[in-house]
Amino acid sequence: MDSAEAYVIVGGSAAGMAAAQAIRERDPAAGITVLSEEADAPYFRPLIPYLVSGRKQAREMTLAGSGPYTGRDIQVWTEARVTAVDCKGQRVTLADGRQLGYGKVLFATGSRPFLPPEIKGTDTEGVFALRTLADARRMAKRAETTRRAVMLGGGLLNLKAAFALLERGIRVTLVVFSPEVLSQLMNPSDALLIRHALDRAGLEIRTGTAARQIVGDESGVCAVGLDNGDEIACQMVCIGKGVRPNVDFLAGSGIRIGEGIVADRFTACNQPNTFAAGDVAVTHEPVSGRPIMTALWTNAVEMGRCAGFNMAGLPTAYTGTFGILNATQVADMPFVAMGTVHTEGVDLEIHRHASAEAYRKLVFDTDGKHLVGAVLVGDITNAGIYRYLIREKRDITTVKRQIVNHQLHYGHLLPI
Amino acid sequence: MTQPKEIFVLTDRCVGCRTCTIACAVAHSTSKTLFGAVAETPRPKSRIYVEWAAPAHKVPMVCRHCEDAPCMHACISGAIRRTDDGVVITDTDKCIGCWTCVMVCPYGMIGRDLERHKAYRCDRCPDRDIPACVAACPTGALVYQTVPAYAADVRRHASGEMVKGKGS
Repeated sequence: MDSAEAYVIVGGSAAGMAAAQAIRERDPAAGITVLSEEADAPYFRPLIPYLVSGRKQAREMTLAGSGPYTGRDIQVWTEARVTAVDCKGQRVTLADGRQLGYGKVLFATGSRPFLPPEIKGTDTEGVFALRTLADARRMAKRAETTRRAVMLGGGLLNLKAAFALLERGIRVTLVVFSPEVLSQLMNPSDALLIRHALDRAGLEIRTGTAARQIVGDESGVCAVGLDNGDEIACQMVCIGKGVRPNVDFLAGSGIRIGEGIVADRFTACNQPNTFAAGDVAVTHEPVSGRPIMTALWTNAVEMGRCAGFNMAGLPTAYTGTFGILNATQVADMPFVAMGTVHTEGVDLEIHRHASAEAYRKLVFDTDGKHLVGAVLVGDITNAGIYRYLIREKRDITTVKRQIVNHQLHYGHLLPI
Repeated sequence: MTQPKEIFVLTDRCVGCRTCTIACAVAHSTSKTLFGAVAETPRPKSRIYVEWAAPAHKVPMVCRHCEDAPCMHACISGAIRRTDDGVVITDTDKCIGCWTCVMVCPYGMIGRDLERHKAYRCDRCPDRDIPACVAACPTGALVYQTVPAYAADVRRHASGEMVKGKGS
C-alpha cells in the first residue's frame, strides 16, 4: 500500500465535500483525503449552465472558500478515479494503480447522465449530457458554431441548459416525451404558468414525442429524427433523461447495492467503516418511509454532512429527504415543488388556487390533518415553513386556513 | 470568537407599530435617510417582519442566524456563509436567485428581491453597534444581548417575581 489516511472520501462533489467539511468541524487534526475523478478542483455543480451562457467563469464556481466550505486542511486528489475497494484490507485502488488505505471511507461518487440506448447516435460529436465542468466547457465551445440546439427531456437540468443556450442567441427546441415539461416535479395542469413563461421566453417545446436517432456528418450533429417522422436540423443535442448512480467500482467489494448503495439510518454501509451519501446512496422518504434516490445538490449536502458527523464519531441519524424538493426559477417564473405532488388518481385532500400570476396546490393526507406536499408557482413566499410542516408531520389543524390561503407565517406556529 | 450578541424578541411587548421594519429598510437603503429611502428605486426592503397571529399577538420576526443554518448548507452557489461574528450573510454577487434558501428556511425569513433577482436577509447591521431595528423599537420588544447576559436578565426578573409571589 502506498499510504493511508484516517478519512478517505471517494467523490469530490456536494456530498463528499460536505462530509469533508463536517469531519473537519468535528476533528481538527485528522487527515482527510478526497478522491475526485474530475480534472477540476471541487466546484458548485449547479452553476455549470452559467459557464455555457457565459455569465460566470469557472473560477467563480470553486467550492473551497465559498459558503460554508473553508477547504482548510482537506487534501483533494483530482483525476483520481477509484476502480476497486478492498473492505477487508481497508483500502481503495485508483485507475493508475495507486492504493490508499483508509480508517473510514465515504462513497460519494454521485451519478452520471443516463443515455437512452434506444436513441441512436448519442456518441456523435456535439451531443452533450451536461454534468461536469468539462462538459460545460465543451458545450460552450460548440455553442460558438451552433445556430439551433435540440434538448431531449423536459426536466429541470435540461431547462437550465436550454436557457443558457437561449441567452447566447441560439434557437432552442425542447423535445419532451411526457405531455408537459417538468413531469417529474408536477402534474401537467400544475405546470401551466411555467409553460406559458417558457413559451414567452422563446423556447420551442414539442411534447408527446421522442427522439429516435441523432444524425451526424463530418461537422458532428446535423439533425435529430423524431418518432413522429419529423427531423429537426441542429448543430447541438443535449440529453437530460435522468441519471444513474456510479456504483460500478464497488463490484466484488461486498458493499450492498440496491438501486444505489444501501445505507442505514446513520449513513453506514454493510461493511465496517464504510459510509455512503449523495446521489449514489439509497435513502428513504420521510412521509411514506419508502426508499428513494434523488439527484439534488441540497439533499446531497445534507446527507454528506450527516455522514461526515457519523464518520467523525458523532452519531447523527439521517432523517431522509423528499423525493421531490425543488426550488428554482425558469424564465420569469419562480416555483417550488416538494413532497407528494403527483396527485392524479390518489385519494388525498387537494386545495388549488390559480390566478394569472400565481398558482398553488396544497396536498393534505386523507384525514386533512397533515400537509404532505406543495406546489407553489409564481409566489413562493415562506415555502420553507411548508417544508418544515411536511417534514415534521405536524398536525396542522389549527393553521389549515392560513396554509390553504397561503398566509401562513412562523408566528402562527408559536405557542403564544 | 467572543460570545456573539443575538436579537431577542419579546412578543408580549410588541404593539405592532412596525417602526423596526422602517428602520431596517432605511438602514439598508442607499441614502440611509427616511426621506431618501422612500424615493429610491428599487424600494429599500426590510429584513424584519411583523406578523399578526390570532387573537391579538404581534410577532416581530427576523433571521435567527441558526447554528446549523439550513440556508447556508442548501445554497447551490456558495453565496451564504457565516462571518467571524457568527452572522449568516448572503453574498449578493454570488446569489443566482434560485430561491433554494427560501425553500429551506423554516422561519420564512429570507426575502426575494424581484427587481434584482437576489435573495436578501438580515445582516445584523455590520456597520452599527446596535442593529437598526433594535435601536428603533419604542417598546423594548427587541433586545440585542449575548445569550448569557439575556439569560441572566430573565433569571433576575423571574427571581424578583418569585419573591413578590411569596408576599415578603
